[in-house]
Amino acid sequence: MAYSEKLLDHYDNPRNIGSFDKNDGGVGTGLVGAPACGDVMKLQIKVGADGRIADAKFKTFGCGSAIASSSLATEWVKGKTLEEAEKIKNTEIAQHLSLPPVKIHCSVLAEDAIKAAIKDFRTKQGSKDKAAE
Amino acid sequence: MSQSENERFNQSPEAGAVAPCWSCKQPVAARALFCHSCGAVQAPGQLDHFARLGVAPGFDLDLDRLEKQYLGFQRAMHPDRFVTKTAKERAIAEQQAVSMNEAYETLKDPLRRAAYLLERAGTTAAVDKDQTVHDPELLMEAMEAREQLSEVATIDDLEKLQVEAGAKAIDLISQLSKAFAADDLDAANRAATRMKYWRKFLEESRARRAALEDAL
Ligand code: FES
Ligand SMILES: [Zn+2]
Repeated sequence: MAYSEKLLDHYDNPRNIGSFDKNDGGVGTGLVGAPACGDVMKLQIKVGADGRIADAKFKTFGCGSAIASSSLATEWVKGKTLEEAEKIKNTEIAQHLSLPPVKIHCSVLAEDAIKAAIKDFRTKQGSKDKAAE
Repeated sequence: MSQSENERFNQSPEAGAVAPCWSCKQPVAARALFCHSCGAVQAPGQLDHFARLGVAPGFDLDLDRLEKQYLGFQRAMHPDRFVTKTAKERAIAEQQAVSMNEAYETLKDPLRRAAYLLERAGTTAAVDKDQTVHDPELLMEAMEAREQLSEVATIDDLEKLQVEAGAKAIDLISQLSKAFAADDLDAANRAATRMKYWRKFLEESRARRAALEDAL
């Protein structure tokens, strides 16, 4: 199978590998897995005071396509509002990396990880707001 | 087959089904390999994997018995026995062999057997779906294990992780057994997913081992 240059680039030089402290109030963590292959992906966002995603990190134990998808996802979410980031579709990721059809579920993992991270951040904000009331 | 096994076996819905023989049109049991009237080999019908191999349905299987049944049936369908038969019969015997093979491969592996039982009960197992899971406990366990694996520096330490993972996978077999015995499909589904994760871990650990050995 021939992989695209963009995919290989993200695979060989993954961007934003690492972790933030998941207990940090400004951090949202998305942890998702694909039971079909037994792989797991963590994507974290750090939201600034302006409500935009200031930084993002990921850690993926999975195939090359999953690593590239999550690496790309961390680049794409940066600078976006939560509403904008939420709109990122796995099809855009798959298209950008020219993923073969059998690897589409790996990009789905990245989309779901972004959504899960945003949800986690909002849940934390919600409980903070409640505490402040 | 012992008495009680026979009874349980005969309760499976397909066991009693009857269809006409393709050759002489006399009625034959769906699970019969040969027509008892004319002796013609019968095509594999819509049989459940358990019924096909003549074992009682359930997660707890006597694997020796399963293998014996399978080998016996395979022998009966062996091409050598059909050299003097018609092309049609040879083709049917081959279809039978393929179906038996599939049934055996599915049932002998605890993970595939569990997924098959879930399917049979009307739920597709998570391991058979392209869907993302969010179960934090399960994923945290998987993430931590894979992290440890990526950081391990010596073969000794790697082997310790492998032994632990192997024990987890074995323990999950008994969890699956309990879940199916209690008809708790959710628990069975979850245990199957965990087993898949530990298997992936073991697979990765072998790759890791090869890399460590190369570095020596
Ligand atoms: S194959 Fe598992 S994430 Fe790609
Ligand atoms: Zn007949």
